[in-house]
Amino acid sequence: MYKGASHKIWSVLMVSPFVILFLLFWALPLALGVWVSLHNWNISSGNLGFVSLDNYKSILTPGTLYYDLFMKGLKNTLYFVVISVPPLVLISLGLALIIDNLPRKLKPIYRTIFFISYSISVTAVSAIFLWLFNGNGGYFNNVLESIGVIREPINWLGEQPYAWLTILITTIWWTIGFNMMLFINALDEVDAALYEAADLDGAGAFSKFISVTWPQIRNVAFFIIIMTVIASFNLYGQTKLITGGGPEQSTNSLIMNIQTSVFGMNQLGIGSAMAIIMGLIMMVIIVLQYWLSYRNKE
Amino acid sequence: MKRSTRKSLPIIIVATIIAILFLLPLVWMVFTSFKTLSESMASSNILPSAWTMENYVSVFSSVSEAPIFRWLFNTALITAVGTFLVVMIDVLAAYSLARLNVPGKKVILGMVFAALAIPGIVTLFPAFYMFKEAGLLDTYVPLILPYTASTMGVFLMYNFLISFPKDLEEAAYIDGASQWQILYHVIFPTIKPVAMTLGVITFLGIYNDFLWPSLVTNSNDMKTITLGIATLIQGANFVNPAKMMASTVIATIPGIVVFLIANKYIVKSVTNTGIK
Repeated sequence: MYKGASHKIWSVLMVSPFVILFLLFWALPLALGVWVSLHNWNISSGNLGFVSLDNYKSILTPGTLYYDLFMKGLKNTLYFVVISVPPLVLISLGLALIIDNLPRKLKPIYRTIFFISYSISVTAVSAIFLWLFNGNGGYFNNVLESIGVIREPINWLGEQPYAWLTILITTIWWTIGFNMMLFINALDEVDAALYEAADLDGAGAFSKFISVTWPQIRNVAFFIIIMTVIASFNLYGQTKLITGGGPEQSTNSLIMNIQTSVFGMNQLGIGSAMAIIMGLIMMVIIVLQYWLSYRNKE
Repeated sequence: MKRSTRKSLPIIIVATIIAILFLLPLVWMVFTSFKTLSESMASSNILPSAWTMENYVSVFSSVSEAPIFRWLFNTALITAVGTFLVVMIDVLAAYSLARLNVPGKKVILGMVFAALAIPGIVTLFPAFYMFKEAGLLDTYVPLILPYTASTMGVFLMYNFLISFPKDLEEAAYIDGASQWQILYHVIFPTIKPVAMTLGVITFLGIYNDFLWPSLVTNSNDMKTITLGIATLIQGANFVNPAKMMASTVIATIPGIVVFLIANKYIVKSVTNTGIK
């Protein structure tokens, strides 16, 4: 079916808006980014000449300004990935299991409550947690002082490890509902007959989870881990607004530092090279995770 | 398998405690917006001792410096136009790719998959530079059009269509239906759940975006509500939690309303993201 010249014209007409917009706003910026990264390129004065791979070299040579900026951002971001991915995955799985075991009528209510913070923008979330955790007049300190847990206010935003803890709690509250929804949907797919069989065998809750539930949801779990790693790698809004990168730049994320090199230092060439290296690192980590989960399946 | 209420009681209690913890920041936000400045900074009570509207009055009267309703309008415009464009463009493209054997199909699909694998940060700053050189900063153009380059929608709907039988379309074609009639009467109803899903994901994506709008807007009047709240955090409002929360309440309501209305589709959308 579907033959003839008019049919071909239709097919081209229908696909072309997407293709044109994709080329214009994705392929062209990508190509421009690679091109700019090979030049000494300023935001204000434009192209100042071809430098080959010098931008990449100076980012990857210890001791240079850009090396410090990139590596510090990378280190902070990787630290956040390491501390945030386990709770974001495990707590969301726990919440999904709780929802799964609730009486049917109550499920939608609790599911909505646990998921609602996902509809709030990162800036509003930051405004709320900035004042919940503020060292001076923040609500959390007021409560802790009034019940006698602390005497002096804790400087949540200006001291480590409290600053990372604040960013972590904020991120968990904001995004955990999404992972939970993915787990809930995966748990819904698990065959109820398998549970009944396990019940007949007298299996406890934990052994039921290990032997029945986990094999059925592990693919989704791997997907969630990968999605969460990507999201944590893109850390920006929370640290930009809540801690401002502090204390002593310890929560400056990689994206924040790339932004600094582009706008603060006016180096679009360096910034583009940093973004490309960051993209490559993320792709390597993702491929590695796919490979690990695939290998485990064999 | 039915559980008795008595057996479910412990898990209901646990779930309720967690639910209270989850709602606490939102409840605190709402109540704080009705507190006086001194109480908002000193009190450990969640409820205001004396309710006041002064924070909202102050937000409404300072719209010349912080045009919060203009930001809400911008956000409504950008999310509505952006979401509509993305869904329409992606439905047409996915239909053409999945059903019409369009010339260059393999190349286009290759680009779609490649784009999914490459992190967005790589194109962000060059895209900003393009708009800067084109003199389009601080207009609606960069706040809407770049979202249409996302390939996720084409990917979702292409996958949906190729796994969906084409009997209906063939029957309609044999009956002499035109391409538009097939699209309108067969494809649109078929693809609607996935299109709604894509719409919800796209809406939340545009609504929540912070970094991109902060790059391409300069003037206060062109900000989105998400960006506007960031401006308030970094500006004078920072010293006044009560007024800050009044602004945040206003900024948060549209998202929560859309969320509650679209709840059904969001639940589906998460399932539909193509993983099983």
